[in-house]
Amino acid sequence: MGAALSGGNGSGVGPGLGDIPESCVACVFLYLTPPEICNLARLNRAFRGAASSDAVWEAKLPANYHDLLDLLPPERYRNLSKKDIFALLSRPVPVGDGNKEVWLDRVTGRVCMSISARAMAITGIEDRRYWNWLPTEESRFHEVAYLQQIWWFEVDGAVKFPFPADIYTISFRLHLGKFSKRLGRRVCYFEHTHGWDIKPVKFELSTSDGQQASSECRLDDTVQDEINGNHKRGCWIDYKVGEFIVSHTDPATEVRFSMKQIDCTHSKGGLCVDAVYIVPSDLRQRKRRVLK
Amino acid sequence: MSSSSSSSSPSCPKKMITLKSSDGETFEIEEIAALQSKTLESMIDENCASTPVPLPNITGKILAKVVEYCTKHAEVGADAESLRAWDAEFVSVDHPTLFDYILAANFLEIPTLLNLACQSVADMVKGKTPDEIHKIFNIKSTFTPEEEEELRRENQWAFD
Repeated sequence: MGAALSGGNGSGVGPGLGDIPESCVACVFLYLTPPEICNLARLNRAFRGAASSDAVWEAKLPANYHDLLDLLPPERYRNLSKKDIFALLSRPVPVGDGNKEVWLDRVTGRVCMSISARAMAITGIEDRRYWNWLPTEESRFHEVAYLQQIWWFEVDGAVKFPFPADIYTISFRLHLGKFSKRLGRRVCYFEHTHGWDIKPVKFELSTSDGQQASSECRLDDTVQDEINGNHKRGCWIDYKVGEFIVSHTDPATEVRFSMKQIDCTHSKGGLCVDAVYIVPSDLRQRKRRVLK
Repeated sequence: MSSSSSSSSPSCPKKMITLKSSDGETFEIEEIAALQSKTLESMIDENCASTPVPLPNITGKILAKVVEYCTKHAEVGADAESLRAWDAEFVSVDHPTLFDYILAANFLEIPTLLNLACQSVADMVKGKTPDEIHKIFNIKSTFTPEEEEELRRENQWAFD
């Protein structure tokens, strides 16, 4: 394999892309994302070989990927190549009793987590006058908690996990109003939706190493409603709680998060609570730009 | 051609080694610059670099550029920003030359040059479909349609 090769690939003069040996293609792959690598695997044999290289995929996995593998039974990952391990971990991996999921973002290999409302402490959840569980395919956990009406609105959760070093954003995925499918069309009901425009909901997070963040937001806005048409009702919205930094994977980071509106002079209701998302901050930025 | 001694190089004159390309051209390179090539480094260590080192894999045109690269990167006190700009300029070349850099850097084991050139290639293939790449770079696939289909399937997970 040398520079003196001429037109071996039909290009006429000098080497072509097809003359690059597998080890060099693997070096190119260090600068490409997993989907890009998988896209090029069928170019030629050198590309296919490099696309299966353990060295390439080890670099795409987070340093502590064994912590994620430990969540699975050993027979699921025994004898797998690093590429197959990446593929395995890029699909949601249940944590604990399945009320939490963790996965690697396919493009960046960074760790993301989602925590179901089932895993959270919701005030009054056992009382069907206040809260009910609605089965739905619009949640990755196949159900959401629906609030009919309550005065003391409080949702608390916590998770302890060896997150890789990064900056993470926590958000609550919420939906004003109830929804269902009627004759193939999605229909929303707002008969219980009230109270969210009176006072804001307070979102908070704290970590075991002393970080804190909070934000406030009125979930509903009936004034804007008249002017622009309400963009807050009838759709899933990720309400950002704040950010926290993980400097070291070890010891595992413990985060607590909450959402509250406990002013008991007014009731509120007509809200679906799906899950909390913990996602690397610049990943979230990228996705939002795409959605817009 | 002065005989090389195994002691550390004096401050002047600079210790040079000579490289000979596949087409017979010779190039002088400072030993310090040559150390960036793991291949040349081990030759220098074993005292095999006192006579012109034949490099039958690399043409004079490319070897000249490789020497230029190693010399530049051996310079003391270059600031990172201007070195980056110089590197960017260095790889602004036609495709065959870029691939020649990769093959030469691979043979001579120059990790910095290999990474630089490979990153350039990565930028070139980003966002292109395999069909586009086949056309643009005139690269031939030796896979049967069945093999290609199998490859498509086993890589589908990245796009789901």
